Amino acid sequence: MKNNRIRILYIDDEVHNLNAFKASFRRNYEIYTAGSAQEAKQLIRSINVHIIIADQKMPVTTGVEFFHDIRESIPEPMRILLTGYTDVEDIIDAINKGHIYSYIKKPWDELELQKTINNAFEIYMARQQLKEKIIELEKTNDELNRFIYSTSHDLRSPLMSVLGIINLARLDNSVTDPNGYMDMIETCVQKLDGFIQKIIEYYRNSRLDVEYEKINFSTLLEDCVNAFIPQNTSIEYLIEVDQPIDFKGDTFRIMVILNNLISNAVKYQKPNEERPQVKLSVKIEPHKGTIRIEDNGIGILSEHLQNIFKMFFRSKNNNKPGSGIGLYIVKEALSKIGGTINVDSKYGEGTQFEIIIPNRNEFDT
Amino acid sequence: MNSIPDLRILLIDDNEIDLLLHEKLILHQRISHTVLPFTNANRALEYLSSNLTLPNIPPTIILLDIQMPEMDGFEFLQSFATYPPRIKSQCYVIMVSSSLDYSDINRSNANPMVMKLLRKPLMIKDLMDTIQEIFREQ
Repeated sequence: MKNNRIRILYIDDEVHNLNAFKASFRRNYEIYTAGSAQEAKQLIRSINVHIIIADQKMPVTTGVEFFHDIRESIPEPMRILLTGYTDVEDIIDAINKGHIYSYIKKPWDELELQKTINNAFEIYMARQQLKEKIIELEKTNDELNRFIYSTSHDLRSPLMSVLGIINLARLDNSVTDPNGYMDMIETCVQKLDGFIQKIIEYYRNSRLDVEYEKINFSTLLEDCVNAFIPQNTSIEYLIEVDQPIDFKGDTFRIMVILNNLISNAVKYQKPNEERPQVKLSVKIEPHKGTIRIEDNGIGILSEHLQNIFKMFFRSKNNNKPGSGIGLYIVKEALSKIGGTINVDSKYGEGTQFEIIIPNRNEFDT
Repeated sequence: MNSIPDLRILLIDDNEIDLLLHEKLILHQRISHTVLPFTNANRALEYLSSNLTLPNIPPTIILLDIQMPEMDGFEFLQSFATYPPRIKSQCYVIMVSSSLDYSDINRSNANPMVMKLLRKPLMIKDLMDTIQEIFREQ
């Protein structure tokens, strides 16, 4: 019980004030007293007080000077200044130099002082709790980082071993597999790995600082597209880049956005389409970049359009179910860099995404 | 691939399946006849220091995993950096990892002793190309 009491240090060079204070408040608070700033400094080294009340007018060191002195070494306690003189200079000093919480006139009104002490203690506790919460949050953040790390390693590494075994089995022809089971295993493992990679992508997007650098969209789009070509070699890619000026943006997130959208355009093609196409166009202006990704694939049902950016939403009208996280990541990445996305789709005809990203390049005009 | 005479390959990986896989791949493709697997990076360091007494140290490729208990790949590199030039100059480190962690990737790219970082599953073509490249420069 004793530990829950408010601990107060009162500093005054007049002994009868110290005694009067003790007499009035000792039942409510745990009280320590000091006759001078020097004595008080000794005391607060060993006792963790919540509130310090100091008289302004003391020989050698005044109350404000004392508060100013301990401001950096002991910042936590709440400070209350007590003085008989209402000198404006003192008040200004007390607030600016001493960081005091409140200013009380001498002789004090018991009720007023008690109220001030209680309010000060409430603020003290609130600050303390805030500090604890920050520490807790930092810890959680740290754990989240470790979680990503172990997801990327501990979950992936056995999967990579499975893929390695499949590769080796093909290489040395040691497994007879007329029904193609190995291929099926490989497909499943790659699907699972794709999902793990999406989760890592999501966390990296939410945690990594946004960084702006120059982006050349011709090379960026080419890099993206090249990674998708092996997935479906019959798709024709049309790339159109209109970039007369420099563009600055967050490369990682723009890549994430493009990769997810192109991946969808590739994945949701019509199985019997004779000329599957993915059209990519970029237009860079001084303050924004507009990117369009267009396909002639299966399209999205209009009633599903408003849901496609929701986490784990999957349009049920196709036989190629995804993880339901790709477009959610796109939206999250865009909100990190201040971009917007619009979608237009005709079921059975194709889908068109238009994203607008602010150009972070600072032009003189 | 043109084989490099007396090339030997040290494998350091705590995952015994990967160790076996990599060994089989290398032997199957005849990249080297001498494959020395280690599940523990410390053991590999001990082995390398015992080589100091050899009159000739053969060209050595070290396939090094990143995440390992006790001593991880980067700690291995740190210790190995203090080895005499006579042995270091014959060793070429290729890191092999399933990590997608950017700090891992940046750290291995920044380390002058690492010739390349290859992703798991280890593709035999990537490995052969990397070894070819290392010895072409010699």
